Amino acid sequence: MEKLILIGGEAGQGTSRTSTLLGKILSGMGYYVFNYRDYPSLIRGGHNFNVLKISDKPVYSHENSYDVIVALDQKTIDKHERGLNKGGFVLASKELKSKRLVGVDIKSMLKKLGVPPIFGNNILLGALFKTLGLPLPDLLKSLKEEFPKKADAIEKAVKEGHSAVKEKMKLSKPKQGKKYFLTGNEAVSAGAISAGLDIYLGYPMTPATPVLHFLASKQLKHNITVVQPENEIAVVNASLGANYAGAMSMVGTSGGGFALMVEALSLQGMSEVPLVVYLASRPAPSTGVPTYTGQGDLKFAVNAGHGEFPRVVVAPGDAKESFYRTMEALYLAYKYRVLSIILADKHLGESNYTFDSFDAPSVKPERSIIKPSANYKSYAITNTGVSPRAVPGEGPFVLASSYEHDDYGHTIEGPEWTVKMNDKRLKKKKYLGQEVSKLQPISVYGNGKNLIVSWGSTKGAIIDALNELKDFRFMQISYIVPFPAAKVKKEIEKSKDVVLVENNATGLLGQIITEQTGHFIDKKLLKYDARPFTCRDVVDGIKRVVK
Amino acid sequence: MKIQELNTKEEMTWCPGCPNNGILSAVKQAIVDLVDKGSIELKDVVDVTGIGCHAKIYDYLNVNGFYSIHGRVIPTAWGIKLANPQLTVIGFGGDGDTYAEGIGHFVHACRYNANVTMIVHNNQVFALTTGQATPTTEKGFKGKSTPLGVGEKPLNPIALALINNATFVARGFALDVKHLTNLIEQAIEHKGFGFIDVLQPCLIYHDHKTVSYFKQHTYKLEENNHDANSYEDALKKSLEWDYCIDGKTKIPIGVFYKIERPTYEEQWKLKKPLHIVERKVDWKKIISEFKLNE
Repeated sequence: MEKLILIGGEAGQGTSRTSTLLGKILSGMGYYVFNYRDYPSLIRGGHNFNVLKISDKPVYSHENSYDVIVALDQKTIDKHERGLNKGGFVLASKELKSKRLVGVDIKSMLKKLGVPPIFGNNILLGALFKTLGLPLPDLLKSLKEEFPKKADAIEKAVKEGHSAVKEKMKLSKPKQGKKYFLTGNEAVSAGAISAGLDIYLGYPMTPATPVLHFLASKQLKHNITVVQPENEIAVVNASLGANYAGAMSMVGTSGGGFALMVEALSLQGMSEVPLVVYLASRPAPSTGVPTYTGQGDLKFAVNAGHGEFPRVVVAPGDAKESFYRTMEALYLAYKYRVLSIILADKHLGESNYTFDSFDAPSVKPERSIIKPSANYKSYAITNTGVSPRAVPGEGPFVLASSYEHDDYGHTIEGPEWTVKMNDKRLKKKKYLGQEVSKLQPISVYGNGKNLIVSWGSTKGAIIDALNELKDFRFMQISYIVPFPAAKVKKEIEKSKDVVLVENNATGLLGQIITEQTGHFIDKKLLKYDARPFTCRDVVDGIKRVVK
Repeated sequence: MKIQELNTKEEMTWCPGCPNNGILSAVKQAIVDLVDKGSIELKDVVDVTGIGCHAKIYDYLNVNGFYSIHGRVIPTAWGIKLANPQLTVIGFGGDGDTYAEGIGHFVHACRYNANVTMIVHNNQVFALTTGQATPTTEKGFKGKSTPLGVGEKPLNPIALALINNATFVARGFALDVKHLTNLIEQAIEHKGFGFIDVLQPCLIYHDHKTVSYFKQHTYKLEENNHDANSYEDALKKSLEWDYCIDGKTKIPIGVFYKIERPTYEEQWKLKKPLHIVERKVDWKKIISEFKLNE
């Protein structure tokens, strides 16, 4: 059983709120739900829509075809009606025009109940539950929990909608079981808190802003500090200052803000003060298509910053992975005194995913701070290249420098220390690589002889597509730096056809694979229309590429 | 404590006779005085520098230090204070550093009022890059990038700090070490953003008789019945000199303005140094916020 519901309307009509709520309610009933958000950059008017895929089996992607369209305005019908599946229908206020309309007299109901127009969404939820043959008490119970103060009025509105329509289909009952329902951004936030976050700094920028909002709303609960400085340059330098002084902080931004931070990434490289950046991409160059999605920043994340220094770039593929990868990114940054970049995008950050369970993370919260001895050296040369990290205020002085320095941290310009310090910093790569190899840097799904290679938010659509692409396995690469070259090479070499799937125009991961393994993947399925892959896009696309 | 404890073995690379030495002496003496007085602990002192001649002080002052990047002294210092409010954070910047590349941070630092000190080595020129105009270079200055002469009037950092609600605003002169020492002590002891613009004539790239001009024309606010609690008086005094080198205008030095206002870090719940905060995070509990029907 799999059903697709599109909910659309003008910005401000509550499309997203209603869809997310519906997703949450259905997940609570035991269904697996994936909720995709599509909205332009405006506050009122325009056209927003969400697509919910509902199933009794795990789902991680949406489609551009629908069984039900819940239309809050005529534009939704005009734009999406032709995407209706056979037997599909439009659920909307009765004055809207559609050949497949199931009309509800919302206006009269609102008048009768004496409630504002936003209650129309509740009327439609009631009607939707009826048409799908879903139990009304489950809906009422959830709404009561969500809006305890308005429970009575909402219940009346829902019941009006419910009694106004007939059952059109009957969704099979899912297996019971408590589910997790969350977005990638929420998972990043939860991962950061679980890793022991003290401070989050961010300047508003879609699609990273929800992390700023979420963590700000949890400040008191988790005793963390959330700060919005004057710009991204202040954000990243204040984060370095805080981490030097012993805090565990993280910053979040998107491409443009990340560009402003780049000089400080290089400061991280030289000073070896830990730094963690959450980079939620959107289509670029420049302002690009700001509220939509794309994977065009992979090589930017890998290469940003002048000079040569080690780093971590980790790209989770879904919300669950975002939780673990964020914990790992923080752990690695502080343990190895390096830059960790968590690379995601709008599709991963803002879509809701459903999961059955969360296993124990493979890393624990760790500040990686020592009590310094009297002869402490901030940049002591060690076997691993990692100098034990102390913080100021304990007695022995602690130095951090953007300038090349000796082991104490004082400025040098001579060739000997320059070489020694470069060697020390770069030595960390080896040990980082060893540690990352234990953190499942690649995941392989399915058993086919052919291989799909991808990274990041395409994971959901590809995993769903494997149900139809029986000849294919899917290799998801989660760690881009340090790159798991041997593992990737092995998977590629034992496959017949290899196809690269990326949500960008030039196949950036493919370029990195060539650089790291010598393999050139010439079969590519690339999508760069600022929209994510649907499962159908992957199935049809792969069949087109591999004939 | 002995002032020698603040010395390092690093080679001095400021030009011979550079007034930066005056700032270094004043900072050292101020630290010694405040440590002896018991108002700060040496282990808690952190200097933060930008990039430019001023930044070499990182190597000459034996305390904790963060040699940051051009223009970013203020956010770095602010971040340090956020993580550990017990530290005594002293930022050092140049005029190019603070008023050109980092002007955005400067304006907001006045607003935020984090409890950090900011000492600007204002030599009215980019010196380490061999002599270009900065925002506080006088109109008419001819440098390598402005051979036809600077056409604009300089920025007035004292007035700028005042209109952005800075709580401690002062001007010092690098060659009046005793006076500067006192200003630095006041700025460090001030609870909030303590800002001092220090006239530090560059002998190589801004040799416009500034040393003699400053020596002859500076006068001390505290000796002239200035009321540092009066915003109006402070603003009026800040406008007396426009940073041009005309050889005749009097230049007030000393504390223009000083008031108390809650500091930035006081608004946060976290008051302890964060590295000693033992967080008992339970990942299971945190992720279960997203578990339905719990």
